[in-house]
Amino acid sequence: MPMNTNNDSTQARPLKSRKGIFSKIWGVLASVKLTLFVLLLLAIVSIIGTVIEQNKELQFYYMTYGQGWGDFIIKLGLTDMYHALWFTAILGLIVVNIVVCTIERFPSKWRNLLGDKTNFKVDIIDKLSRSDNFELAGVPSSNKDGLLRVLKKKKYKHLIREEGTGFALHAWRGVIGRFGSDFTHVSLLVILLGAIIGSFWGYKDFRVVLVGDTMQVPNAEFELRLDNFWMEYYDSGQIKQYNSDLIILEDGKEVGKKHIWVNEPLYYKGIRFYQSSWGKAWNRLSGAEVILKTADGKFSDPIEINWMETKPIPTTGYSIKLVAYVSDFAFDTETKTVFSKSGETNNPAANFEIYKDGKVVFATWLLFNHPELVQSMPDASEGVLLLNGIRGILYSGISINKDPGTNIVWLGCLIMGLGCYFSFFVFHRRLWVRIEEVEGKTLVTLGGMINKNDLLFDKEFNLLVKTLKEDGSKSFAEVK
Amino acid sequence: MDQPKVILSLMFFTMAFAFYVVTVLCYIGNWVFKKKWLGQLATTMTYVALFSTSMILVSRGFESGRAPFSNLYESMVLFVWALTVGYLILEYKTKMRIMGAFVMGVALVAMISASMLPYRFKSVEPLNPALQNKWNFLKDILEPFGLQNYAIGWLDFHVFTTFIGYAAFAIAFGLSIMYLIKDSYEKKDKRSTLIDSFPGADMLDELSYRSIAVGFPFLGIGIVSGAVWANAAWGQYWSWDPKETWSLITWFIYAAYLHARVTRGWRGRKAAYLAVVGFIAIIFLYWGVSFVLPGLHAYA
Repeated sequence: MPMNTNNDSTQARPLKSRKGIFSKIWGVLASVKLTLFVLLLLAIVSIIGTVIEQNKELQFYYMTYGQGWGDFIIKLGLTDMYHALWFTAILGLIVVNIVVCTIERFPSKWRNLLGDKTNFKVDIIDKLSRSDNFELAGVPSSNKDGLLRVLKKKKYKHLIREEGTGFALHAWRGVIGRFGSDFTHVSLLVILLGAIIGSFWGYKDFRVVLVGDTMQVPNAEFELRLDNFWMEYYDSGQIKQYNSDLIILEDGKEVGKKHIWVNEPLYYKGIRFYQSSWGKAWNRLSGAEVILKTADGKFSDPIEINWMETKPIPTTGYSIKLVAYVSDFAFDTETKTVFSKSGETNNPAANFEIYKDGKVVFATWLLFNHPELVQSMPDASEGVLLLNGIRGILYSGISINKDPGTNIVWLGCLIMGLGCYFSFFVFHRRLWVRIEEVEGKTLVTLGGMINKNDLLFDKEFNLLVKTLKEDGSKSFAEVK
Repeated sequence: MDQPKVILSLMFFTMAFAFYVVTVLCYIGNWVFKKKWLGQLATTMTYVALFSTSMILVSRGFESGRAPFSNLYESMVLFVWALTVGYLILEYKTKMRIMGAFVMGVALVAMISASMLPYRFKSVEPLNPALQNKWNFLKDILEPFGLQNYAIGWLDFHVFTTFIGYAAFAIAFGLSIMYLIKDSYEKKDKRSTLIDSFPGADMLDELSYRSIAVGFPFLGIGIVSGAVWANAAWGQYWSWDPKETWSLITWFIYAAYLHARVTRGWRGRKAAYLAVVGFIAIIFLYWGVSFVLPGLHAYA
């Protein structure tokens, strides 16, 4: 088992001794030790934000951790630590580390690996732990093409020159594997760039829209109308999916529509709309049903009234209009106004106006749970109105998200994927071959080197030697 | 309401459990008593165990009527499956069975943990709205065959790649433990018939690096595909939810491992410690976050 003496020498190379404070700081910023330190620091501090719940109200922290710790947590910005200045600073440090490392190492790496190699020296073979030699019949010039053909078949690129009694040959493949780490490093910068763009030029919002209503889209020149909201259920009764039918309106004209559900957002002009919640409207009805109970105890036929619609009350000469609704009736005695105590349908009440000859003559709140609580006709002798039923209306909660950085983040992820593939699955193999004439025969001496994965290369090298030995002296026709 | 039946998959689970016990005993026997036939039996049993584990997933797929990658129990089985496949590749490539005692040991511990999950995790639950992320093109392809429910999406892809990553890290964990033992024996020039049969420390280091080199990209793909899914379901690709954050923490640790290996003074033992710490973080990410910390991943 050979030692990995040659592992990524470009990266592990110790930095030159430095003088001057600037050079020293530069040296620290360029060191892999700093990378290790920052990565482990990030790993450790990130734990804090998973233990302390993030973005709660300040009260929560005082109640959970007490006054002292609560203060401490809030002062250090641990309530939203991943956006706190100090956390951003650590991320900034790793960015600086990546940039400085790249400036420091990349140019020489580029020169070493991709620069002019015509002056390669085959003497290096004697120093390599992995080397072998074999003899071929015939003189070097007769074997040259055969050997090169084998290398080409194994996807090696090569340089060859005449040297001594034969040739000196240098061959290599997979040099891109050496640049995998650079791709990965750049990808991190790209991802962070995407995140920064998103946080500066993007926004998040949330709107509640009732079925049939139109909502304004913030900072955009179009509107959305919710035509329908519905839920799907499994046979077991569990909710399967929430759905909204959205219509895109520009200048009041329909320009498109989309059925959205959780996992299927609408994307229009750079903005995404997500199905995010739903509920029953607490201040709107689609319609209500009232019954008139006359003074002698007789009930009229139910009167169906849609929202903001006026309907005659049979046999009375009055008409009735549904004008307001609250789902949890309450009365503020100071301001003398009606309001809803909650969003729940605990105590639904509808407000009606009663008209005679086109004029409002009376107004009343009818409570579904407490019939006959108040006078509901202009004259008590005319009977009472009963709220017999309500038709609620659903709203859909739509999250709005504009994030122009998203695609840049995905691009970064793609580069990272490439980087990982290059670093972990493409290996840089190098061969040096001395081809000499010895007593009318060809002596081939070769040494090989791989930047990582010695286990693989041990086998590969032996196989290569075997192939070269067997096929090296064969003519093209024989190999075919 | 009728719960889908999970009898067949539980039966395969029980069988697989028994096979893993036998497998690990054989590997340990092979290591301690140095009997070749025990080693050969161990390898055979690993294949048998792998077959049963595959059958758990297949029968689970039939029982739930969808791809079997959507809760903690299913993901545990997937983890064991990937770990076993990974180990068999390792054994095939190195032709060594000593590592089986350690790596398959991790698989057995995972099986034990999965068996201890409460029944509600083992039963089949319908997918909640956020989990229903399927690739439409696959649905379209499978529709004519009536198999559209088996279409997978970002969620399944996310789970699958993540667990291949975890399995690779588990192998690296087993190998790093072996490395730490072997290395301390080599350094002090101590002899022990048990430890002498380990592969050399350098080789263990190299193999554990190779495992992490597989695990790291898979963890990365897992995190990214999770982000793609989150972007579709919740409207943001990253929200610092505890599970997400912990996945990033493990990513940091393994990134540190990769840098440690090319840093003087850090390669060798310190890097191996990082591989061990990384896997402990994975276990916490996987179980700890689900049961201890609140967040979006509460279901798995």
